[in-house]
Amino acid sequence: MISIKSPQDFGAGVLFILIGAIGILTGQDLAFGSARSMGPGFFPTIICALIILIGLIVAGKALVVEGPAIERIQFRPIFFLIVAIAAFGFLISKVGVVISAILMIVLAAYARREKVNILETLIFAAATAFFIVLIFVYALEQPMPVWWW
Amino acid sequence: MEVFEHLATGFLAAGSLQNLMFCFIGVLLGTLIGVLPGIGPIPALAILLPITFGLDPLSALIMLAGIYYGAQYGGSTTSILVNMPGEASSVVTCIDGHQMAKRGRAGAALAIAAVGSFFAGTIGTIFIAAFGPPLSAIAQQFTSPDYFALMLLGLIMAVVLAHGAVLKAIAMVLIGLLLGLVGTDINTGLTRYTFGISGLWEGIEFLPLVLGLFGIVEIIRNLENPPPPREPINTKFRDLMPNRQEIREAYPAAIRGTGLGSILGILPGGGAVLAAFASYTLEKKISRKPAKFGSGAVEGVAGPEAANNAAAQTSFIPLLTLGIPSNPVMAIMMGAMIIQGIQPGAAVMTTRPDLFWGMVASMWIGNLMLVIINLPLIGMWVRLLSVPYRLLYPAILLFCAIGVYSTSTEPFMMVLMIVFLIFGYILLKLGCEPAPLVLGFILGPLMEENLRRSLVISRGDPMVFLERPISACLLVAAVLMIMLIIFPQFRKKREEAFQEE
Repeated sequence: MISIKSPQDFGAGVLFILIGAIGILTGQDLAFGSARSMGPGFFPTIICALIILIGLIVAGKALVVEGPAIERIQFRPIFFLIVAIAAFGFLISKVGVVISAILMIVLAAYARREKVNILETLIFAAATAFFIVLIFVYALEQPMPVWWW
Repeated sequence: MEVFEHLATGFLAAGSLQNLMFCFIGVLLGTLIGVLPGIGPIPALAILLPITFGLDPLSALIMLAGIYYGAQYGGSTTSILVNMPGEASSVVTCIDGHQMAKRGRAGAALAIAAVGSFFAGTIGTIFIAAFGPPLSAIAQQFTSPDYFALMLLGLIMAVVLAHGAVLKAIAMVLIGLLLGLVGTDINTGLTRYTFGISGLWEGIEFLPLVLGLFGIVEIIRNLENPPPPREPINTKFRDLMPNRQEIREAYPAAIRGTGLGSILGILPGGGAVLAAFASYTLEKKISRKPAKFGSGAVEGVAGPEAANNAAAQTSFIPLLTLGIPSNPVMAIMMGAMIIQGIQPGAAVMTTRPDLFWGMVASMWIGNLMLVIINLPLIGMWVRLLSVPYRLLYPAILLFCAIGVYSTSTEPFMMVLMIVFLIFGYILLKLGCEPAPLVLGFILGPLMEENLRRSLVISRGDPMVFLERPISACLLVAAVLMIMLIIFPQFRKKREEAFQEE
């Protein structure tokens, strides 16, 4: 019975094999060419093959050598940060940087486990938005809508 | 002396009021970020990169260089006062620096670190001025096979000399190379790995990749495992003077550290982190009282601090003369130069001497500013440590998002950043350090192009790499490096060298 001795390394090996395989499969329509005249698929194919090779070694070693376990995944932080980025990215051109920045900070505040003091967060968000406008719009003159008009 | 003429040009360019100001802002922001926990120089540069977009190239580069060594400097401050390395190259400073602080010599440790760094920075600057021109003259004789061999060696050394699992690091470099190839192939005009997404036709944008992988993943790491709060040791400005005994112990160590750091910085794959570790090991080895290390040895602060600063300076040499970044931090600098429309390499020195020498001169000015602003402002930096993380991280996140938006207003760029944040999170969980990926990402297109050209010249004969003396030497060195990792004796040494933490 084969058992995984190092879950972290085994996962990494599988990830590498997966990336290499995706690279080779989706790159199949790229001409490989020859050494004399390299096609667009030449270099990527070699690299993907090497990635798969290393993936195999890393995963294989993980069956033999003891190693650390994979830490538990916590969904809360990553979920709220992604929502905050997405909200900012899709709103900034519609409602301007002030409102999207405040929204982003408030959403991001919920990424941590402790209770959120909403008043503090709102005040901090407003102040930060103000500084961002000052630095990026006025001092650095970046093209960026401040409000929705 | 030609060197001094060049340096004069540089000081003239860097000494303009505008550039002095950006240098000052750079070191100040850098120190600020370096002091903050959990933000090393890579995310610091990435987060602050967008601020420099509107500037002219020289000012932008001066500011970025300032941010880099400012961050390094800030890192040593927190190492000494809080036993919390702001970044990897000051990990060793923690060992003896914090012990000194506990014994009531915090001020002396800070002053020794600052003055040692400044001395190293000065020597490092002279090093660049002296070695830059001859190296770039050699570089101009490099042909495609030589460049390819050099990049290969650089990547291999970067993996071998960095700490962490070698195989995983190689995989990271390779994945970086692959990501660097996404977009339109310059020779055929075909798009590669774009999955029909028009936002990828010009390749993966640099900033969303770096910010996603480093800036935001760092936030998640800190949220999942909040670092324990630590009380900084209080210091006052008047406590800064080291006593005679300490000075006597510090200065030879600083000189050795400077020499070691200057050399390790130039090596491809070398850099500040390696230099600091190597210097600590050296000091411990040659000390007459090695037992003292770990309980507040002055040499253990002076040596590594000088070494990491010297290496931080001289690691600019390969980037500025050969156009090849020797470590991930330099890869970010290279990304910044490309965004500014400058292709780093031997040509910069001849086509834009003001840019090259201005940057060199600004490094010295920046180091001087660091000594002047840091020591008196210690109290302020320490107070910064008490800014609660709950306020800090949303602000960092916002900075990342604004940065991405200012490179491109396409909402797709945010999607890209989210993709890399998820990828970075997976890498974190699987124990893969993503820094080598950036190196591969920057070098990917260059390597492919030089490989293609080499093989066109030789009509497909791979022997071309061994027939040219330069590339042959570089490849032999690369093979030696690989043998070294396979060779168990060296592998043990390498693990020992990084085990001080």
